[in-house]
Amino acid sequence: MRITLFMAMTALLTMSPAAAWAQRNPKKEAEFLITRPVVGDPLPELTVYTPEGKEFKTADLRGHYTVLTFGCLT
Amino acid sequence: MFFIYKSLAHPELAGNYVQPFTLDERLAHARQAEKQLGATVPWLVDAMDNRLKHALGDRANSEFIVDPKGIIVRKRAWSHPAEVRTDLEKLVGPVENITREEDVKLKLELPIKSAAARGVVPRLKRSEQMQAIVIVPKIDPKGPSFFAKLRAETDPDLFRDGAGKLYLGFHLDPLHEAHWNNLTKPLSFKLEVPEGVKIGKLSFESPPVMAPSDSDPREFLVDVENWPEGKSIRLSVIYYACVGKETCHTVKQEYEIHLERDRDAGKARGEGAGFWDAEGFARQNLARDKNGDGKLNKAEVQGLIVPHFESFDKNQDGLLDFEELKPVSDWLNHHHQPGTALSTPK
Repeated sequence: MRITLFMAMTALLTMSPAAAWAQRNPKKEAEFLITRPVVGDPLPELTVYTPEGKEFKTADLRGHYTVLTFGCLT
Repeated sequence: MFFIYKSLAHPELAGNYVQPFTLDERLAHARQAEKQLGATVPWLVDAMDNRLKHALGDRANSEFIVDPKGIIVRKRAWSHPAEVRTDLEKLVGPVENITREEDVKLKLELPIKSAAARGVVPRLKRSEQMQAIVIVPKIDPKGPSFFAKLRAETDPDLFRDGAGKLYLGFHLDPLHEAHWNNLTKPLSFKLEVPEGVKIGKLSFESPPVMAPSDSDPREFLVDVENWPEGKSIRLSVIYYACVGKETCHTVKQEYEIHLERDRDAGKARGEGAGFWDAEGFARQNLARDKNGDGKLNKAEVQGLIVPHFESFDKNQDGLLDFEELKPVSDWLNHHHQPGTALSTPK
């Protein structure tokens, strides 16, 4: 089974030595987990772009497992 | 596997990159990221309405695992690589060859060099509490590029009481490779405020700069009172931006500024992100010392240090100690804010 690792990164232009600046917030994390989409929901169907400006649909990821991680390299 | 470019979480960090105003500028950022990181992983770019970021809950460091039918089977508020691996082993089965960080083959090149020196004009000190607010640039497809881009932030007081400080900063976009021409009239702007809004003054001009050119932001703090939500302030700016030695543009641009928090604008961190003091930097990095020997081996460092590890390891013992880590901060400040002079010779 193919796995697609789909990493959403911000300001991904150099990697910083600083620890991740995102602060953990238990209350907001709990809210996030019960906010849709939740486990069992479909991944929203959206159109994004390739760096050349061509459209890419999230539906095209079907057919294999996808890990989507919002990271930040700054 | 894809990298996704979305709105910058920390504009000004790591090369003074600023939030793009157009999809073309976002695409250019993603192409720069491709080049700079040098990874073989393809990139995708979120749309200007940040639909992907919003659709998935807008949470830094969150994680989703989606099955082949497109159904979300795991959701975490805080991603952890070991947990992802365990999940995938449960869902898909164990793998023989684990992909490691080094397999991604990041080149980690340095950011775009500023078109002129930085660190010439002192940065304006502004409160860490300030929050970015929505700005709407008036984009004329036939007009000049937004060589300088406005960032607006306010005190939390301004939301609460309608009175407080408004930060207006014009940041040169490194992708347009322009610098200020200080031999001509400095940047100036005018504000048009809704009726009833009290503001210190309506016309502003950047103070003259002795150096003939530089790339530092032009920043202003304005006292505002009685700004009702739903009513925008209009700003019109005029500046001279030069690309190379010969080509200078007279640029007139307009913005609407709304008293509405911009949750996609990121946190620029006060007077300029990406600066570390030497000792604080060394201490912060030594927190990554996993084996407790008080020094960092190559596996314990991250980011731009990795490809330059050997050059920082002055005594060539394969480890970076406190004294060796201190000058790294200076080196990083220089490269994260390209154009800033190195104060410690390498």
